[in-house]
Amino acid sequence: MRRLLHGLLGLTGLLALLEAAPRLGLVDARFLPPASEILRTLAGELTTAGLWLALGETMRGWAVGLALASGLAVAAGVVIGVVPGLRAATSSTVEFLRPIPSVALVPLATLLFGPSLGSTLLLVVYASFWQVLIQVLYGVAAVDPVAHDTARSYGLSAWSRVRHLVWPTSLPYVMTGLRLAAAVAFILAVTAELVIGSPGLGAEIQVAQSSGAVPTVYALIVVAGLIGIGVNTAVRLLERRVLAWHPAVREEVAG
Amino acid sequence: MKAVRLLGLPVLLVLLWWAVSGGSFYLPSPDRVAVAFAETWFSDRLTGDVLPSVGRLLAGYALAALLGGWLGVPIGLSPRLRATLEPVLEFFRAIPPPVLVPLIMLLAGIDTPMKVLVIVSGCVWPVLLNTVEGVRALDEVLADTCRMYGIRGWPRVRGFVLRGASPQIMAGLRQALSIGIILMVISEMFASSSGLGFTIVLFQRQFQIAEMWSGILLLGLLGLGLSLLFRRLERWVLSWYYGSGAARA
Amino acid sequence: MLEIAQLSKTYESPGRSVEAIRSLTFDVAAGELVCVVGPSGCGKTTLLRAVAGLLPASGGEVRLDGVPVTGPPPRMAVVFQEYGRSLFPWMTVWQNVELPLKEKKVPAPRRRELVTQSLESVGLGDAARAHPWQLSGGMQQRVAIARAVAYEPQVMLMDEPFAAVDAQTRADLEDLILRLWRDLEVTTLFVTHDIDEAVYLGQRVIVLSSSPTVVMEDLKIDLPPERDQLGTRSLPRFGELRGHVYSRIQAARG
Repeated sequence: MRRLLHGLLGLTGLLALLEAAPRLGLVDARFLPPASEILRTLAGELTTAGLWLALGETMRGWAVGLALASGLAVAAGVVIGVVPGLRAATSSTVEFLRPIPSVALVPLATLLFGPSLGSTLLLVVYASFWQVLIQVLYGVAAVDPVAHDTARSYGLSAWSRVRHLVWPTSLPYVMTGLRLAAAVAFILAVTAELVIGSPGLGAEIQVAQSSGAVPTVYALIVVAGLIGIGVNTAVRLLERRVLAWHPAVREEVAG
Repeated sequence: MKAVRLLGLPVLLVLLWWAVSGGSFYLPSPDRVAVAFAETWFSDRLTGDVLPSVGRLLAGYALAALLGGWLGVPIGLSPRLRATLEPVLEFFRAIPPPVLVPLIMLLAGIDTPMKVLVIVSGCVWPVLLNTVEGVRALDEVLADTCRMYGIRGWPRVRGFVLRGASPQIMAGLRQALSIGIILMVISEMFASSSGLGFTIVLFQRQFQIAEMWSGILLLGLLGLGLSLLFRRLERWVLSWYYGSGAARA
Repeated sequence: MLEIAQLSKTYESPGRSVEAIRSLTFDVAAGELVCVVGPSGCGKTTLLRAVAGLLPASGGEVRLDGVPVTGPPPRMAVVFQEYGRSLFPWMTVWQNVELPLKEKKVPAPRRRELVTQSLESVGLGDAARAHPWQLSGGMQQRVAIARAVAYEPQVMLMDEPFAAVDAQTRADLEDLILRLWRDLEVTTLFVTHDIDEAVYLGQRVIVLSSSPTVVMEDLKIDLPPERDQLGTRSLPRFGELRGHVYSRIQAARG
């Protein structure tokens, strides 16, 4: 209760500061409009169909990209983790490809897909794939060797071992990967729209900026922040729900 | 045997690349990309575009690290300050950093200060929030030990608070590094006339496909190089942490 | 020297208050070694933290040389139970022992001397360059003791320092404490849940009741001043004293 009160105080303080600074002439109101004006613009934007359409586009790119990346990463991770020798054979390649910043693919995406959903998906999938894959690999490696030997000695087939042993053990790791990937995917979805011009929130911001509609830029950034919070919260809830049965709701693995 | 494991798959992939690239416009063969790489980047582009980009990245990153640590310590140490600022900080962290680029262009123009500021504005949040988290979770027995032996002020911050929070601070710095590279590239894709991001987009617009791929390769190598450097730094700073087994627990 | 007068502590949280210590009064004379023993959960650690000035009391006071303790006094050292958490893992053994001396602005040559001596005295002269986590539990606790000794305290407080080490190590560490106490003539308050340990180490044993805590008995240990693990523990008088304390604690649990 106290925390909530303090938190509200902090938010109010921020708004008051943003209101006062331009009104008192501390900053140029052309560059930083007062908070009330930003909020008014935001309220106006929320009644337009354009914003909602753009949001829909962004969330579609985010969701489809995240789903594709997670599916691919889980499949690849389980195969790499379960087939003997594959992990050692792939590790150098994974270590090389993982740190490639996904924005390096911007020109390629532009070339292949132009300003469309395809570009967004390429960047989103590339960026989130590694987040999930690395966690799946941690997860598969965490399977208790004794449990593994037990399963083998009772003659469980490879598929049953994955289904009853590997998957439940790695699920918490998969969820961690998904949580990290969800945030990254949102960043990259907006980035693709902003830089390449694929339809969505990022493109709206770009348009507002180049037409000099400063309050709109701020209002859209607030929207982006709120969506970001929404994405984080949603994934966290999902994680808690999926792992409710799990004895150890795991700490995050350093990766 | 080890060499086969290490290089087997990469060699296979390059061969595959060779096989499928025959005559493709979008995917030039590896040897053409390699030639383009040497011609493009071992020239005055290295000093004119690449090094300034990396310089801005490091400057912005260092500023963000200092700022995040410097603000994170007092916030982490004071429960009241933390409760007040947490929602605000969470909000700022949730904003995808690239959307700040158009905004910062408004405020700071399109030159070097803008680019550095963009990098700072994106990198500071993971450092700041992780520092707060690390400082909050400092060991109470160690805190009592400091009080008992009269360790306070700056020696306490340096010898206890920062060192104790360093595993989380390093985790924040690691996140910030990948965000920093993204922002370095993006800041140069907007209204710029030099830099790595600008050059790569230029190649794409002029359909210099092999050069474009060489740029992607260079960014990959840069990302890889920085992440290896960071890992060494981390091993060094956190040697006590890995040694004590706290990382596993 | 150290006076604890009507000390009480009640933990207040919204809608709930827990009386941990009702009222404790006893004192420790200069150069004395006093053990405090009581049933588990009787507020021993609360008492020690209040004496150390780490925890404000709800009532009564602690006086050191007649001066009320309001924060950690400059010439007091504590050895905590959690040895693994009271040493700085990023510092070497040497740096751990040296740090408080640096803070006291002890000149470098004297510092070197103190650290060397104290490490020697706990038998860790060779481990100075190691990190705490490279040592066994008992050795880590020796480092914490060396740090306290090097600090040259008037009063040393020990909060169940050997609760987490094995029996053999524990016996060695008990004799180490006795030797250091005798050599340095430092006033020591030793908190433990182990009756044997309290009787073996103490000149006096303060028996606490269960929470809310009061002093049940202030018992003089009339064993010969020279103690050793085998001889002292097999004296009939040792058995009597131990039995007496044991029955008081059983009654306290009642």
